[in-house]
Amino acid sequence: MIAAPTLSSAFLDAPGQSLPSPLLKLREQRGKALVDMPLPTRKTENWKYSSRYLKLDEALAKTLPSAGKSGPGLAVAGYHVVFHNGVMVPEASDYPDIAGIEIKRFVDLDDDEARELAERLDNTLDSKAAQMARLNTARFEDGLLIRLQADAVLDQPLYIICETDASSAGTAYPRIYVDAGRHSQITLVEEHITSGSEPAMTNTVTEFALSEGAHVTSVRLSLDGDTVQHIGATGARLHANARFENHTVGFGGPLRRHDLQVRLEGPGAECRLNGVVVTQGKQHYDNHTTIEHVAPHCNSEETYRNIAADESHAIFNGRIHIHPDAQKSNANMSNKNLLLSTGAEIDTKPELEIYADDVKCAHGATVGQLNDESIFYLVSRGIGRQEARALLSMAFINELVEQIPVDSVKDTVQARLNRFFDQTFDEA
Amino acid sequence: MANTDKQVNELIKREYEHGFVTEIEADTFEPGLNEDVIRRLSAIKGEPEFMLEWRLKAYRRWLEMEEPEWAHVHYPKVDYQSISYYSAPKRKEDMPQSLDEVDPELLRTYEKLGIPLHERAALAGVAVDAVFDSVSVATTFKEPLAKAGVIFCSISEAVKEHPELVKKYLGSVVPAGDNYFAGLNAATFSDGTFVYVPKGVRCPMELSTYFRINAANTGQFERTLIIAEAGSYVSYLEGCTAPMRDENQLHAAVVELVALDDAQIKYSTVQNWYPGDENGKGGIYNFVTKRGACIGKNSKISWTQVETGSAITWKYPSCILRGENSVGEFYSVALTNNYQQADTGTKMIHLGKNTSSTIISKGISAGHSSNAYRGLVKFGPGAEGARNFTQCDSLLIGDKSAAHTFPYIESKNKGAMLEHEATTSKVSDEQMFLCRQRGIDPEQAVSMIVNGFCKEVFKELPMEFAVEAGKLLEVSLEGSVG
Repeated sequence: MIAAPTLSSAFLDAPGQSLPSPLLKLREQRGKALVDMPLPTRKTENWKYSSRYLKLDEALAKTLPSAGKSGPGLAVAGYHVVFHNGVMVPEASDYPDIAGIEIKRFVDLDDDEARELAERLDNTLDSKAAQMARLNTARFEDGLLIRLQADAVLDQPLYIICETDASSAGTAYPRIYVDAGRHSQITLVEEHITSGSEPAMTNTVTEFALSEGAHVTSVRLSLDGDTVQHIGATGARLHANARFENHTVGFGGPLRRHDLQVRLEGPGAECRLNGVVVTQGKQHYDNHTTIEHVAPHCNSEETYRNIAADESHAIFNGRIHIHPDAQKSNANMSNKNLLLSTGAEIDTKPELEIYADDVKCAHGATVGQLNDESIFYLVSRGIGRQEARALLSMAFINELVEQIPVDSVKDTVQARLNRFFDQTFDEA
Repeated sequence: MANTDKQVNELIKREYEHGFVTEIEADTFEPGLNEDVIRRLSAIKGEPEFMLEWRLKAYRRWLEMEEPEWAHVHYPKVDYQSISYYSAPKRKEDMPQSLDEVDPELLRTYEKLGIPLHERAALAGVAVDAVFDSVSVATTFKEPLAKAGVIFCSISEAVKEHPELVKKYLGSVVPAGDNYFAGLNAATFSDGTFVYVPKGVRCPMELSTYFRINAANTGQFERTLIIAEAGSYVSYLEGCTAPMRDENQLHAAVVELVALDDAQIKYSTVQNWYPGDENGKGGIYNFVTKRGACIGKNSKISWTQVETGSAITWKYPSCILRGENSVGEFYSVALTNNYQQADTGTKMIHLGKNTSSTIISKGISAGHSSNAYRGLVKFGPGAEGARNFTQCDSLLIGDKSAAHTFPYIESKNKGAMLEHEATTSKVSDEQMFLCRQRGIDPEQAVSMIVNGFCKEVFKELPMEFAVEAGKLLEVSLEGSVG
């Protein structure tokens, strides 16, 4: 038997040393655990459809250098934090000093804070399912810690802009940890962008710990460039009556992978996960979500829509796991897919794993194409055929885009989607 | 609830009705598997050279394969060297020609199971190719079938009498190297059923085989091959019960169906093998590969299964829809109780234009059991206008049971449409209250509700099977209410 390829040891070379010592220690530990880590292959269940897109060349083993500045065009009105190649850039960031809300770089933490954080990092993510997130923990150079005291409310959304500067080959490792205290509230917008056009990779991890009654809304935009592979993981753990909302919007690329894992650990906790993915050309996008109902009386709602055009490949894998004591759980998952071309491929797997009897769980999935009658209806009213297709495709996902609670993000996304459909149906 | 608990406890103690051992002298190989065993097996069966070669090739291939571990089932590893690969009932001079010649001991076994062979055959017009352990011992209604040109015999006979058909189709749908258990079967299959329906013939009766595993420690490796020529129709019934054993028995069968232009095959199964006792001890390991190929245009293959037995079920009756406009159907009821584990479902591989498939799966888990639906619906690039509808529902009885759904959906054609729905729920208190209020005891109420839940599938079964299936559910559910 041929041995499975393992992670190149070049990925485990000692990265920079500017972090406080407890975090350096954690990084070292994780690095050791990754020695000889087998790389995902077609036989690795949760990489079945995506392993062939993953290219972990040795050139990517280099951590991208941070110049301590950010590229142009990042001006955002409102609170924002800017990362350049995984390192925060204070000069480009702007956020207020609000009582009860701490926003700190990892490199600025004192030893006690760093020790506490080191114990909590990775706790929201299953090591097997989000294997690649461990690589982030072994390699991050900086990160952002957001801590909300009890009842603290951030009055405006906070943008976190992660720029991967692909002017040379390598990987950026942004890292975010949000600790939301009792009944605190925050809305976060995480945006991944690229400058430069060398082959590069973004490996990013965002974690949320929600105490009782906390409300967290997170919006995640993956807008990386065509030469950048993107591997992201988001984890959330919810205590009683907490609410977590996630809106994921993704445009395809050479490799796009997002693992979203939510654990409902206190009674009354609930989550809503929305996702929109569009791919064209030879692009790829893979969303893997897991919702763990650990405590009774929890609710989860999940809706994902994918559109694949040309020769692209979109994947959705949603898993709902109801633990033995999670009675009175309600879980709903819906995944709809639009296949715009016969060269394209859609793979979906909505899974249910249920170990409690008094639960209501349902999932639905569809794969199809635009309805000829709908197109005819629009055409008969003087709308061009391609325009009609663009309109209907947009309508297919706009329902979810409309639910994004931050208007400026919604506008950006809609504009980009319209551009996407114009391109797709122009060439058709 | 005290009263109910008492009832339940009594019911739990009730033992598996079909568990008894028929004392018949069996001609059995010593445990172990190697090339010599395969040669001996092939020699005993008087097989032509090509068959032996085929078996040996499969065996060599199998040695290089690994046992699959992806299914949602847990069991101690099977020691393939501790199994005996051949066991046949003592035969006298020749195979019996009619029912009268069949060993009376054997006939009594069937009677205890409530299926008197001759009565059943006469009443229902069913020709039964009864497989008692590994060798067919009674075949009835051969003549009217022969008149219609239908070949219905054991596969060993077919190997000798119709080698050209066997050569052409054996392994054409499930190749010897398809998977671990299919490989094992290809190397060691002891007997099975062969059906050939010629062009344009509508098989005059429902064909049926009653499988039974008998001698202890003997894996039953059945191989079934059904070929429906252009424009023909055949309906085949398969039913199973097995006597009580403490050690796990392995059953690795392979079923291949081939449907040519405009042909239709309907394959129905009621599987009620020994599921192990209430502590999960013993029971059959049922690792089966069933697959049908719709090769011809407008052909249709329909699988209907009621699975209530076996300690572990690993079974995915599938359809390869190659011909234009071909149709695949899968109707399934899988019930698990006590410590049973089932991982079952189907694969619908759409390759041809305008192919369509329907999947209706009903899973019921009670006790400490685990029941998983695992399915694949795949649309290839040529599956223009293909359609699939999938519905898999799970019903949970008791808070220690588990139900899972793992549907894989892969589409490479924009003209293909697919809808998938799944729900999980329990027998609601309201439903129970309604029944009990009308004087129906809890046991019966659950059985009624479950029967309603499964109705969509039962209506696809041939009539006599539908009755049996309903009864089976009742027996299998005993002791699950509380």
